[in-house]
Amino acid sequence: MAMAMRLPVARKPLSETLGRDTKKHLVVPGDTITTDTGFMRGHGTYMGEEKLIASVAGSVERVNKLICVKALKTRYSGEVGDIVVGRITEVQQKRWKVDTNSRLDSVLLLSSMNLPGGELRRRSAEDELAMRGFLQEGDLISAEVQAVFSDGAVSLHTRSLKYGKLGQGVLVQVSPSLVKRQKTHFHDLPCGASVILGNNGFIWIYPTPEHKEEDTGGFTANLEPVLLADREVMSRLRNCVVSLVTQRMMLYDTSILYCYEASLPHQIKDILKPEVMEEIVLETRQRLLEQEG
Amino acid sequence: MADAFGDELFSVFQDDSTNEAGTKKDQEKGKWKGPPGSADKAGKHFDGKLPTESTNSGKNKRDTDFEGTDEPIFGKKPRIEETIAEDLRYAIALALREKQRVIFTSPIKALSNQKYREMYEEFQDVGLMTGDVTINPTASCLVMTTEPCHVIYTDYRPTPLQHYIFPAGGDGLHLVVDENGDFREDNFNTAMQVLRDAGDLAKGDQKGRKGGTKGPSNVFKIVKMIMERNFQPVIIFSFSKKDCEAYALQMTKLDFNTDEEKKMVEEVFSNAIDCLSDEDKKLPQALFATETFAMGINMPARTVLFTNARKFDGKDFRWISSGEYIQMSGRAGRRGMDDRGIVILMVDEKMSPTVGKQLLKGSADPLNSAFHLTYNMVLNLLRVEEINPEYMLEKSFYQFQHYRAIPGVVEKVKNSEQQYNKIVIPNEESVVIYYKIRQQLAKLGKEIEEYIHKPKYCLPFLQPGRLVKVKNEGDDFGWGVVVNFSKKSNVKPNSGELDPLYVVEVLLRCSKESLKNSATEAAKPAKPDEKGEMQVVPVLVHLLSAISSVRLYIPKDLRPVDNRQSVLKSIQEVQKRFPDGIPLLDPIDDMGIQDQGLKKVIQKVEAFEHRMYSHPLHNDPNLETVYTLCEKKAQIAIDIKSAKRELKKARTVLQMDELKCRKRVLRRLGFATSSDVIEMKGRVACEISSADELLLTEMMFNGLFNDLSAEQATALLSCFVFQENSSEMPKLTEQLAGPLRQMQECAKRIAKVSAEAKLEIDEETYLSSFKPHLMDVVYTWATGATFAHICKMTDVFEGSIIRCMRRLEELLRQMCQAAKAIGNTELENKFAEGITKIKRDIVFAASLYL
Repeated sequence: MAMAMRLPVARKPLSETLGRDTKKHLVVPGDTITTDTGFMRGHGTYMGEEKLIASVAGSVERVNKLICVKALKTRYSGEVGDIVVGRITEVQQKRWKVDTNSRLDSVLLLSSMNLPGGELRRRSAEDELAMRGFLQEGDLISAEVQAVFSDGAVSLHTRSLKYGKLGQGVLVQVSPSLVKRQKTHFHDLPCGASVILGNNGFIWIYPTPEHKEEDTGGFTANLEPVLLADREVMSRLRNCVVSLVTQRMMLYDTSILYCYEASLPHQIKDILKPEVMEEIVLETRQRLLEQEG
Repeated sequence: MADAFGDELFSVFQDDSTNEAGTKKDQEKGKWKGPPGSADKAGKHFDGKLPTESTNSGKNKRDTDFEGTDEPIFGKKPRIEETIAEDLRYAIALALREKQRVIFTSPIKALSNQKYREMYEEFQDVGLMTGDVTINPTASCLVMTTEPCHVIYTDYRPTPLQHYIFPAGGDGLHLVVDENGDFREDNFNTAMQVLRDAGDLAKGDQKGRKGGTKGPSNVFKIVKMIMERNFQPVIIFSFSKKDCEAYALQMTKLDFNTDEEKKMVEEVFSNAIDCLSDEDKKLPQALFATETFAMGINMPARTVLFTNARKFDGKDFRWISSGEYIQMSGRAGRRGMDDRGIVILMVDEKMSPTVGKQLLKGSADPLNSAFHLTYNMVLNLLRVEEINPEYMLEKSFYQFQHYRAIPGVVEKVKNSEQQYNKIVIPNEESVVIYYKIRQQLAKLGKEIEEYIHKPKYCLPFLQPGRLVKVKNEGDDFGWGVVVNFSKKSNVKPNSGELDPLYVVEVLLRCSKESLKNSATEAAKPAKPDEKGEMQVVPVLVHLLSAISSVRLYIPKDLRPVDNRQSVLKSIQEVQKRFPDGIPLLDPIDDMGIQDQGLKKVIQKVEAFEHRMYSHPLHNDPNLETVYTLCEKKAQIAIDIKSAKRELKKARTVLQMDELKCRKRVLRRLGFATSSDVIEMKGRVACEISSADELLLTEMMFNGLFNDLSAEQATALLSCFVFQENSSEMPKLTEQLAGPLRQMQECAKRIAKVSAEAKLEIDEETYLSSFKPHLMDVVYTWATGATFAHICKMTDVFEGSIIRCMRRLEELLRQMCQAAKAIGNTELENKFAEGITKIKRDIVFAASLYL
């Protein structure tokens, strides 16, 4: 049985490749962003001695007179309308606690989820007792941010059939800053699998469901074995996402798809080799530039 | 006098004594929304369902009304009812049992508060949401205020109403609508007759009433009658403040304070202008309220009396609409206590039967969607996955109403097309060519006329005695004689330019009927068989369709009728002498018009005339019939075209263009990207819903608030929430004028961007929608002045100031949220400080009703 062995190598700095497409103003905590007082401070900055100083490592963004620093690696801070993938951590009275990679646990209220069968009514005590039957600790769900509390905690809702419990698939956790905001975060990729690009940095890769019109309210996981071909596609996608993330590429449907196509000449397990990763990401970037071009 | 009253009234009532007592069924008005969930996301919601689906349920048995329905349950009384009724209790209990959430909506705050208290006693788990108070918003039964929605109701009334008319100067009441809703034409006409006969008397009486001194007024008489007949309690609606006071004084003369009556009598004078609290104290039995009163405070009565059928709506006196009438008259008849309600309408002006019928029998105001787009709506829809504003537009009630018109238009097109195909013209092609030639000629004739009508050309020829032909749209006066002309300077309202108007005074043959009216502008031509009367009528120059070369001698003095009639004879004589038609002034040879354009037109006319004469049809005996046919066909073709255009318009999604424009604006200002993903600015704008979100967001991102103190920022924000007009523009100090200027610059930029995005917007109007009149008032209030002090600073009503302050607080709270969203704590604290500065004392005292 042949085995590939690798020795540790020094990691190549990313900035040389990153700096090419956009000239980003990158800062680390403590860097002075500007000494001009005409600006307003936003997230990730603070005023010190008449200077605007970065408090996180990331890129400086300017909107009119507002300056904020978008952190490269961060926890998720919720915004209304975001799609998130999260894991149930606790079942409480009338609510679930959900881990969504934010600073505080998110909440999914019993009243803001669809009952099985899509029935619309006030939740009764029986529903409360059956909560663990709907979702239990460890379950993964997709949901939308309904509201953000004053302390930054997020309240979720799953009031649509496309949200709900996630069945079989692969979860990849990345930094939320790498997920590009788009009109839709649910994508059925032409390669035979689907992805949910959660705004919180949780990426869910799953086989494209054959019939979408299942009125179960999203609580029965399909436990049929997934075909090998589908599993291969999913694994390849997973490795592609990982390589895009290592190379600090934004994740969205086109970038993932291009990366997938670039990885086709390689075996799935080889994609994670640093040189292969670099190669396919370079190709992806090339294609994206051409497309924008 | 009262005796005469009584007899008349009594006999009228006798007629109806066979009438059944009203159904005892309790009814409740208030709109019920069904299951929750339909209205949670986008923040804005409306009922997609038509009320008519469930309004018919009025006659059903109660138990089947509510059981097992997912439909919204609409209250079924034509009016908002007063006390918590049995049905309501039942419905709520039922809904709670089914684990449904109950939302009770009412159109005004006072009513909501009242309902809340009643329900709270009954069910405990009750919440309230109004403009100022929110109590327990997560309760299973929620009372809310909505925009007035008094239109959703049925025609079903538990207590039938009888409508009477009291003609001023008359001596009795006339039953015009009986409890079955039938309009009694004969009674109505009798009443009208009385009114006409007593015309002068009525006028005199009116004067007396205004003075409030001359004897007992009609109202007094009626009220007295009502008391004698035990039809109290009564509500009297009067639409003017003055009358209201006068009536109130008169009422005090009546001694209502007998022991048993004390409890029963409640005189309510509804005044559409103001709340006269002083009067209120003096007359403990009279209550002055606004018209909103009619919406449903706990004040039922047996009889409703309208002192007038017209009201002043700010611009003009107008008849009250039937919708208003229904709402107000519906106060009559207490459920379970009276077998019928009595409505008395006093008319002192000549009301035509049609107007009266409309008023009394008219249906409620139609329910029309006032749906319109706002940036906040667009942004909120953009940020939620999968729902887009386009979808929202398609599903709106506004759109539904629009689509409903389609079948009618389709039918119209079909009919017109059938008609079009039915008309068969022999030898069609050549007829059409001939028709077109004639059309062209007519068009060119118009052009020539335009030249002739230019004052510099025609004025020299409008000497007295000149024969001219006058035609005003459909009215053809025929030939007349010019008497004189004069110049009127007419200032165009928008340009301010002087645009002289020339008015020609022409002696014309008019119909005698139309001359009865003193205004000569209303003159109508005499019918061919009528002799008519010659009269001098002022005519605008462009209404002269022809100017003849003939001049007549006119008598020096036109005042005697005979002299005028003699001119008519001369005209007829001229017409006899020129059997081919009276010769006209030639525009070039006679009038000497040297315009090149005119020459060209005349050449064209000649060419076309030549073609017309040489056309084979020109001498065809059937010409006239064929030609009219052709004309008809062409007209139908035009109709079809316009109907098709209408149809095309009806099929499009309304406001789609506006939506596109708005999205374009959002993109250009950086609120959203081209792929409809909203950006940081957009998210901030989502937080602001009670004022111009675009401008406020732009101001915030441009750092306009950075250097302002909390008071200044609060004062600046007042421009966004104050909407009333104030005559005096306060002189602002520099610390307020500076920020105001910056704000206006910012607004200009938005107006510019909007204009570039093809959104119809007028920069001036947009800028003037931000009213800085209260800036200094708010500033002074925020720095701690007393309310009395700030009231002296402006001529704006106290109520408006308080309203402005309350809305300001709301806006400040939203600005806090917005500042938080961009992560700027200083700004957030500044706005929060603004709230604490203005939120004190009387301005934020809790509602009087709760």
